[in-house]
Amino acid sequence: MRLRPLLIVLAAVLLLALGPIYFALDPSQSSVFPQCPYLELTGYKCPGCGSQRAFHALLHGDIAGSFRYNAMLFVAIPWICLCLYAESRRTRNPRLYARLNAPLLIWLFLAMVLIWWLLRNIFNW
Amino acid sequence: MNYWINHKGVQSGPVDLDGMKQMGLTDEAYVWREGLTDWVKITQLPELQGVYGMAGAPTTQQPAAQPEVPRQSETVTGQPYQQPAQPYQQPQYAGTQPAASEPCPPTNLVWAIITTVLCCIPTGIVAIVYALKVSRKYNEGDIEGAKRASETGAWWCIITIILGLLYVPLALMIKSFSMGMSM
Repeated sequence: MRLRPLLIVLAAVLLLALGPIYFALDPSQSSVFPQCPYLELTGYKCPGCGSQRAFHALLHGDIAGSFRYNAMLFVAIPWICLCLYAESRRTRNPRLYARLNAPLLIWLFLAMVLIWWLLRNIFNW
Repeated sequence: MNYWINHKGVQSGPVDLDGMKQMGLTDEAYVWREGLTDWVKITQLPELQGVYGMAGAPTTQQPAAQPEVPRQSETVTGQPYQQPAQPYQQPQYAGTQPAASEPCPPTNLVWAIITTVLCCIPTGIVAIVYALKVSRKYNEGDIEGAKRASETGAWWCIITIILGLLYVPLALMIKSFSMGMSM
């Protein structure tokens, strides 16, 4: 329990600080942005690769481009929003929280991430 | 006047005022009686002053779980003189969740997903695995195990965020260093 405030602050700082940066600068053009460390170390893409470019595209309304850079975001972003909503209503509506966090759903998400990770390295998505 | 009571996740009733005094209720109990559209905290009904004691008995290890108050919209419509929906659908969950009163410990699923997508390091996936573990243990009734998995999962989220954040200045340093060498 005592970990949660720390977690929330870290995530908020991360999201708030990066939003304007990703709008202003294009990660595929600028060398300021870090390459994915996993890609650099192993030569394989991680599930999150391309999310920087995808966010930049998305912030500029380029949905097709965003999908090309990282298709998983199109599942992850709505999922995150839904989970955040459930999280904020955890004490008031624990049933919604329990449903969204049902083992089956988490399994599905985990499987999706792993399959996406595998396929994008095979087909170079 | 009869009252229905939800105290620490256990529902009982109907009982009258004298009966309630025998029950050793605390101020964390929820009650309903005819004329109310929804469950209310026992402290909110002035006529129940003195029926309950203060929470914080030394025997409980953690604060008693709050029963879910049903959403207003469900109970306002429909039959006004029927008891509103139960705070928990106890019969339905009784088999799989022995401690239905205990809320599920945080699965940290949101943070796991966010870190997987944003932090460029696949350790976020470990956090998702732990989210799954929390959920599964909770559904098996292993609350303690679920709490442990919840803590570990939270640490994996933090590790992923910190590694992701540390990597940025590190990468910039290396990049500028190697550029300086080649010049």
